Amino acid sequence: MSDESGSVVWYACKYAPAELLAGYGASTRLANVEADTFEAADQLAHGNLCGYGKSLLASALSPDVHALVLTTCCDVMRRIYDVLVERDDIDFLYLLDLPHNTGKAERRLMRSQLARLAAAYGSYSGRTFDPGLALASFAPPVVPTKGHVTVVGAHAPGSLMEAMRESITLPVSNVTCTGARRVASPPSELARTVRAPGCGCDACIADDPAPADALESFLDWYAPALLGQTPCMRMNDVSGRSSLTDGRNQEGIVYHTMKFCDYYGFEYADAAKEARIPMLKIETDGTRQSAGQLRTRLKAFDETLHGMADDVSAAARSVRPKGGPTYVLGVDSGSTSTDAVVMDGSGKTLASVIVATGAKATAGAAKAIEDVLEEAHLTRDDVTLAVATGYGRDAIPDMDSTITEITCHAAGAHLLVPEARTVIDIGGQDSKVIHLTPDGGVANFVMNDKCAAGTGRFLEMMARTLEMPLAELSRQGLEWKHEVRISSMCTVFAESEVVSLIADDTPTPDIIHGLDVSVATKTSALAKRVKGEPPYLMTGGVANNEGVVRALAEVLGAPVRTHPDSQLCGAIGAAWLGLQSLGA
Amino acid sequence: MADDTKPGIRILDRFGAAVDDVIEDNPRAAAFWLLTAFQVETWKVRHLPEGQKLPSGQMGCRLAIEGITRALEHPDEAVLTSIFMPNEIFLAMGLRPMIAEAISDFMTGARAEEGFAVAAEQRGVPESYCSYHKILVGAAATGVLAAPRLIANCSVACDANNITFKWLAERLGSPHRYVDVPYDTSEDSVAYVADQLEELAGVTEQVYGRALDRARLSEFVARGQRTLQAMERTLPMRHRRYLVNDMGLEMQEALALHLLLGSEDAERMALQAERDIPEAKPYDGLELIWVHAAPYFSVPLQKVLDESPVAQIITSDMTFDQTRAGGFEHGPDEPFLAMAERLVHNSFNGPAARRIARIRQLCEKTQADGVVVFCHWGCKETMGASQLMKRDLEAAGFPTLVLDGDGCWRRNMSEGQTATRMGAFLEMLHDRREAAR
Repeated sequence: MSDESGSVVWYACKYAPAELLAGYGASTRLANVEADTFEAADQLAHGNLCGYGKSLLASALSPDVHALVLTTCCDVMRRIYDVLVERDDIDFLYLLDLPHNTGKAERRLMRSQLARLAAAYGSYSGRTFDPGLALASFAPPVVPTKGHVTVVGAHAPGSLMEAMRESITLPVSNVTCTGARRVASPPSELARTVRAPGCGCDACIADDPAPADALESFLDWYAPALLGQTPCMRMNDVSGRSSLTDGRNQEGIVYHTMKFCDYYGFEYADAAKEARIPMLKIETDGTRQSAGQLRTRLKAFDETLHGMADDVSAAARSVRPKGGPTYVLGVDSGSTSTDAVVMDGSGKTLASVIVATGAKATAGAAKAIEDVLEEAHLTRDDVTLAVATGYGRDAIPDMDSTITEITCHAAGAHLLVPEARTVIDIGGQDSKVIHLTPDGGVANFVMNDKCAAGTGRFLEMMARTLEMPLAELSRQGLEWKHEVRISSMCTVFAESEVVSLIADDTPTPDIIHGLDVSVATKTSALAKRVKGEPPYLMTGGVANNEGVVRALAEVLGAPVRTHPDSQLCGAIGAAWLGLQSLGA
Repeated sequence: MADDTKPGIRILDRFGAAVDDVIEDNPRAAAFWLLTAFQVETWKVRHLPEGQKLPSGQMGCRLAIEGITRALEHPDEAVLTSIFMPNEIFLAMGLRPMIAEAISDFMTGARAEEGFAVAAEQRGVPESYCSYHKILVGAAATGVLAAPRLIANCSVACDANNITFKWLAERLGSPHRYVDVPYDTSEDSVAYVADQLEELAGVTEQVYGRALDRARLSEFVARGQRTLQAMERTLPMRHRRYLVNDMGLEMQEALALHLLLGSEDAERMALQAERDIPEAKPYDGLELIWVHAAPYFSVPLQKVLDESPVAQIITSDMTFDQTRAGGFEHGPDEPFLAMAERLVHNSFNGPAARRIARIRQLCEKTQADGVVVFCHWGCKETMGASQLMKRDLEAAGFPTLVLDGDGCWRRNMSEGQTATRMGAFLEMLHDRREAAR
C-alpha cells in the first residue's frame, strides 16, 4: 500500500462506500495486501487472527498510508481498527458501522452512517461532494463469462489469484468477500441531478442543485444500493449467495477459506454437498508461502475440469515417432523419495526404482531415471514419452510432459486396484484423499493445508521424539494395550503431549498407537470432505506403517487396502497416462 | 473444586468417553445420559451445596445449573439464546431461556465436549471456530440437541453469533429471530434495537401461544436494573475478602446474571452478595480480575486460583458487562428501550476501548493486584484486543497476563505452558506487592 499523491483512500470490504468517497475526489483502492511478515500483528494484536487482517495491519502501519476506511464487517477488522486508532499513524481512519440486515430500518441506519462518513471525509479533505465524480466512478456491470471458474469465499490474496491465472486454463472470476464488489448502476433520474456547468445566469444557478442537496439525493439511493449487493456471509440473510455456486455459466468453483476466518467454512460445507460442478477447497493463511502446493492443487483441479491431462496429450502428439517398441517413463518426484517406472506399450511395468530425493529434486530424479533405465536395459533414446509428476515435476529436465500427482495417483491406484473408489495417500510432506470415478478419474480430491499434522513428517518428528527409527515406530505401534488419546492435531503441541506421556512412564506402544489414531482421525476428516467411500486404497510411504493402516480402517469403519507397489502409485499413473495419450 | 486425580473426576472421564462413543449412533441415549448427569448435579447443588462457599456463591451456582437443566427438561418452554441477549421478555412470559454457551460449558463439565467438537469439525466447522459454538453445533448436528421452539440471539459480541444460530435454525427447523446491535451508542441505535426486541416479543407470543403482560415485563426490567446496581455496589467490598470461589463459580455467577437477569432469584443473589461479602473472612492472597471465559477444568489453574490462599479471582468482566457509564437513561416504564440501552452499551459491544475502560474501572473499584486476559480459542474479539488491554491496563498500574487457552475444550489447553505462565505471573505480582509493603 503506497500513496504518493496522498489522495488514495484504502478499503478492505466490498461494503466500503468507494463511490461516495470518489465524489470527494478520492481515489479508492482495495487493500489487496500480503505482508512479508506478521511480526507487527503478532506484537500489536494476536497471532490467531486471519492473514488478511494481519497483512492489512502491517501494511497500514506504513507511512505511505494516509487514509483508510474499514467497516465493522468482522471481528478481525474491528480489532485491526482498534489497534490502528491506538497507533494514531493514519491521517484519516474511519470505521463504518455496517448493519447485518438490509431492511428499511437498516437502510436508514446505513444512510446516516454514510452521511457521517461523508461529513468526516469532507472535513478531512477540504472538498465538497461532486455528484458527477461519484456517478462517474461506478464500474459498469460485469457480465459473467460463460465457462468460467469462480473463486468464492474469503478474501483471495493476490498470490492465490496469480496462481489461479497461471494454473487454470479457463477465465477466472473472483467473487470472494472483497472481490464481489458489485454495486448496482445508478438510475437515470439520479444522473439527471448532474448537469453540465451552466452559463452562470440566474436561471442556471437557480436550477443547479446545491452540493448538500445533491449529496442527500445521492445517499437516498446509494445506501440501499450499497447494502443490496450480493451478501457476504456476515449478513443475516445470505440467500442471495446461492447464485455464486449454482453452476450457471460455471465450469468449476474454487472455494477459498482463510485460517482464522470463520464465515466461509460453513458455507463451503453446504455448497460442497450440493455442488453440481467440480469444487475445490483451498485454505490459505493469507501469505505467499506454500505456492508449490497451491499450484499443484489448482493444476490438478484444472486437469479435473478437462477430464484428461491436456498437456500430456499435446506432448504425445508432438513427440517424434521413434519406430520400434513403445516405452513410457514415469517419474514421481516427491519430498522424501523419487520413484520411477518404465512401462511398455502393453502397460506392463518393466522396471521400477525408489531413490531418496535428497537435497535437490533434480539430482534425485536424475539418479532415479538412470537407475530405472539401467534396470530396464534401456537408454533415454529408447523412451517414447517421459512424464513427470510430484512436487519436483517442473524441475526435472528433458521431460515431455508433467501431470499433477493427484491425477497420476488416481490413475495409478486404478491400475493397481481397479475396484478402489477412494485413494488415501499419506506422503512425507502432505496427505491427500482422492475420490475416484469408476474408471479411475478424479471425482473429487482434498489435500491437507500447509500443516504437518496427519502426514509422514508428523510421524517422523514423533519417531525422533521417541528416539527410534520409523520402521520401529511402525512395529511397536501394533503392540499397544491401552488407549492413549493424543488430543492435539498440531505437530508442535502433539510433541509436547508425547513428552508428557513419556514423563508419565506411559508404555511406548500405547503412545505410538495414540499417534497412529491421531493421523487416522485427521485423514478420516479429509475423507469425509470428499465423500470418500470404500473400497479404500492407501498409498504413499505411510502405507507401510501397519499401525496407521489399522487405525484408519477402524476410524473409517471399512477395510483399508494396501498394495506392494503403492509407493510407486504416482509414477505408475504418470507412465500409464502417458501411454494412454499415445493411443496405445 | 475439581482435580484430575480425584476418583470423581475419573468417573466423569469415563462418563464423558461413554457419551462420546454413542453421540453419532445413538444421540437419544447421549442426550438422556447428559440430562441425567445435569439433573444429578442440580439435585446436588440444591440439597448438598458446598458448605464453605458464601451463600451468594451457593445461590449463583444453583441458579446457573438449575436454569439450564430445567430448560432442557422442559423443551416446550425453552428458548435458545446467546449469552448477551436480554431475557426479560422470556422470563416475563414464564419461558425458560437456555443460553447456548452454557450448554457447551455443561458438556465440558460432563467431560463430553470432545465428541461434539470433533463431530462439528468433521462436518466442516473451521478448526479456528469458537469452541463454545463448535460444541453446540456438534450437539445439534449429531441430533443430541433437540430442536428448540424458538432461537433468538443478538449480534453481540462476536462473528460466531452471525453463523451458529442461523445454522442451527436451518438444520433444526426452528424459527429464528436475530437482533442486530449497532456498534455505536447513539439513541438511534438504542431505538433500532428496541424495535427489534419488541418485534421479538410479538414472535415469541405467537410461537408459544402466550401473551406478554407489559406491566410484568416492566417489573422484570426494573428488577434487572436493581440487580445490576446491587452487584455494582459489591465491587469495592471485595478487596481483601475471601470470596471462597473458583473459576467455575465465577462463570456460574456470570451466567446467572445473564440467564436470569430480571428474576427474583437473580436479585436475591445480588442482595445476598451485598450482605455476604463484607462479612467474609479477610484474605491475604493476590486478587485478580479475569477477562473473558475461565477454563474451570484446568488443573494447574485450579491449584492456584480455586479456593486458594495464593490467589483468587475477585471478579470477571463477564459478570460486570451490562452497565452504562454514567447510569441508564431509560427506565422500566420503557422496557424495550431499557433492554436495548443495556445491550447497546454492553462493554462487549463496540470498540475495544469501551471494554478496556470497563476492565480498568473494575480494577480500580476492587483494587485488584493484576489482570488475566484469557484468549479463549477462536475468540478474535478478545485476542485482537488482548495486547491493547495489556498496554492500557499496565499503564494504569495493573500488571496483565495474556494467557492463551480454551474455556471449554480441553484439547486446546496446553497445561504445562499454562502452569508456567500463571505461576510466573503470580510470583511477579507477589514480589511487587511485597516490595510495596
